[in-house]
Amino acid sequence: MELHLGLALPTDHTPLKGFDLNNHGFDPKEAVGLEPWSHGCCLESKDDYVKNKRSFDAAFEKIGDTKQTLPLFVWNGQPDEEDDPTGQNKETSYNINKNDGEGNHVVGWPPIKSWRRKLLHQHQGGQTENIPMVAKNERGGSNAMYVKVKMEGVAIGRKIDLRLYHSYKMLTNTLISMFIKHQKGDKDGTHYTLAYQDKEGDWLLAGDVPWQSFIKSVQRLEVLKTGG
Amino acid sequence: MAYSFPEEVLEHVFSFISSDKDRNAISLVCKSWYEIERWCRRKIFVGNCYAVSPRLVVRRFPEVRCVELKGKPHFADFSLVPDGWGGYVLPWIEAMAEAYPGLEELRMKRMVVTDEGLEMIAKSFKHFRVLVLSSCEGFSTDGLAAIAANCRDLRELDLRESDVDDLSGHWLSHFPENCTSLVSLNIACLGNEVSFSALERLVGQCPNLRTLRLNRTVPLDRLPNLLRHAPQLVELGTGAYSAELRPDVFSNLAGAFSTCKELKSLSGFWDVVPAYIPAIYPICSGLTSLNLSYATIQSPDLIKLISQCQSLQRLWVLDYIEDSGLHALATSCKDLQELRVFPSEPFGAEPNVSLTEQGLVAVSEGCPKLQSVLYFCRQMSNAALVAIARNRPNMTCFRLCIIEPQSPDYRTLQPLDVGFGAIVEHCKDLQRLSLSGLLTDRVFEYIGTHAKKLEMLSVAFAGESDLGLHHMLSGCESLRKLEIRDCPFGDKALLANAAKLETMRSLWMSSCSVTFGACKLLGQKLPRLNVEVIDERGPPDSRPDSCPVERLYIYRTVAGPRVDTPDFVWTMDEDSALSLS
Repeated sequence: MELHLGLALPTDHTPLKGFDLNNHGFDPKEAVGLEPWSHGCCLESKDDYVKNKRSFDAAFEKIGDTKQTLPLFVWNGQPDEEDDPTGQNKETSYNINKNDGEGNHVVGWPPIKSWRRKLLHQHQGGQTENIPMVAKNERGGSNAMYVKVKMEGVAIGRKIDLRLYHSYKMLTNTLISMFIKHQKGDKDGTHYTLAYQDKEGDWLLAGDVPWQSFIKSVQRLEVLKTGG
Repeated sequence: MAYSFPEEVLEHVFSFISSDKDRNAISLVCKSWYEIERWCRRKIFVGNCYAVSPRLVVRRFPEVRCVELKGKPHFADFSLVPDGWGGYVLPWIEAMAEAYPGLEELRMKRMVVTDEGLEMIAKSFKHFRVLVLSSCEGFSTDGLAAIAANCRDLRELDLRESDVDDLSGHWLSHFPENCTSLVSLNIACLGNEVSFSALERLVGQCPNLRTLRLNRTVPLDRLPNLLRHAPQLVELGTGAYSAELRPDVFSNLAGAFSTCKELKSLSGFWDVVPAYIPAIYPICSGLTSLNLSYATIQSPDLIKLISQCQSLQRLWVLDYIEDSGLHALATSCKDLQELRVFPSEPFGAEPNVSLTEQGLVAVSEGCPKLQSVLYFCRQMSNAALVAIARNRPNMTCFRLCIIEPQSPDYRTLQPLDVGFGAIVEHCKDLQRLSLSGLLTDRVFEYIGTHAKKLEMLSVAFAGESDLGLHHMLSGCESLRKLEIRDCPFGDKALLANAAKLETMRSLWMSSCSVTFGACKLLGQKLPRLNVEVIDERGPPDSRPDSCPVERLYIYRTVAGPRVDTPDFVWTMDEDSALSLS
């Protein structure tokens, strides 16, 4: 019954009552190969529980003495400090995993299947190709034209389909009402300005060029607060 | 009493027992039951193609009709297993071609299937009916053409998420003129245009076709015609779901959908134009499964759609659904059992949508039958996890991916130990769990203490010391598959629980702290395990024994070391351990 006490983190750290391990009946026979641990752990003094690593090691020793079924740990006679993976090992492992293909991302993270990942790339690739088509046939075009929108002071950005809008006014009003729930600000559009980044990467104020030219060149949008 | 039964009677009784587990139990009763059972076993499942040799299987079970095989480790899905690792199906096909001329069904997952293999299937099995290739690779449309041309009774051809070398869309025209047997055809993974005339002919003349999943190249204006030819369809994957917005196109499509009264499952919707979504409204009330995970549909349109689908049991969707859409889901879909929310921009540094832990909490509150979750998000809290656990103690599969590794509870900045602890404590039937976020060894203590039915556990960027791994291995009694990446778990916990590995199907560890020396020792002492060191830096014996290995894959086997290892895989058997030490 005391087994888990020995292996447990100090109970005074346990934030949920439900996790007080003393409340759970434990039958050592339930766990594969665990039986010897209980002897080891029961012998530990209370002070040892605090440093769980020590009781863990102590448990290893005990198994070594008693049980032939788990002989492999005996082989490990190294002190904890040496084989304990501190920062160094971890850094190496992260380095191993850096992928050249995807910039600084760790290989295989987030865990998205490779075919789905391919699909995401296709979506992104397709978008830029579609822009001229959309500009040609803005009303009934079959291809969405998504651009990112941010609002000054709002952490979460949005993506909108520009194809659904036909004027600056419509776009500005929609964006403001889209973001307004994050803001206690005025719903009246006069306190906001719309800026966009064009194909060259320059940030410009929206409204200076005709709508048609605007949607041909816009890459991303930002709603700015003016004179707030 | 039992011994007085004639063999035929026992055989007849056994024939009613379909579960593999029960059949295995029967064969352990006594020698005569073992004998009778092995002669009447019609279907086998091999969860790891290297756990047993094809030779052993055909020797023990001479009359098998249906085979299911799995190859590479699950982490291969995320590119963690180097190309060329293995999982070749050809040796199996060769053995079965000789032993099972009557083989009818072959299902494979994460295996390397060559055109040669497909041709052998096409020629060797006279009554072949079902071919399922799930996340397989190594074959082309030529191999599929051989299947189409030769398997006269083919009922099911399912390519799932396979990586097919798409040489020509004409393979489909190799189905014989008089082919009427197809019940299920899934070609959604193919990249090239298929022959539309062949497709229309097939769909038109197979009266039992229930499942049809098209690929992205099938344009929307072809869909109405296909649907009118197959009003009996139950599962449909559309092609591209976009066209010029014209009222006649819309009404034609809506009309075609409304003739398909049996439709229960929809997927596809590539390049979707939201204005066309209402065309499916007439059949939405009957839908139980909706896969919109390739469809860029924004939250307002998703909400309109989902509120029509009140019988929905399974929803796969991109995170465009946002919290607001998940609230709507919680309100309208009371039968929901499975929810998967995928990220639309997993590699972006900032969130592009307003999807948080709140959406999942809402669904856990509103959908009493929810039992399976895969959820990608960017923030989580212990409070939310505790709420989910309390709301849904019936959860059997809980996979949470917080996209930034080691994210703490965003409100308290504490580790998420307590939250995941609540999941394992409350969800007594949990079978599958994936962890993410900032986690200390304590979460593994909770898991080892409570997760007694857990069979598969995925861990990444978590834990502090060997203690974490020790808790999992020593506590999770039902654990079959454990996969770990980038965690500071090392030799001690692994060696101390070595015997546990023989009760599991497999253990994967990459970028952890297990040393080459420990791998050697394991391989040496546990002959029933294959201990594979996968290291692309060169032979591990060129480095000190204390050097951690890149990747480690351990699985139990009765077949001994495999013979098809590439030059970056080393099996730590007794001999190699001796020669290397």
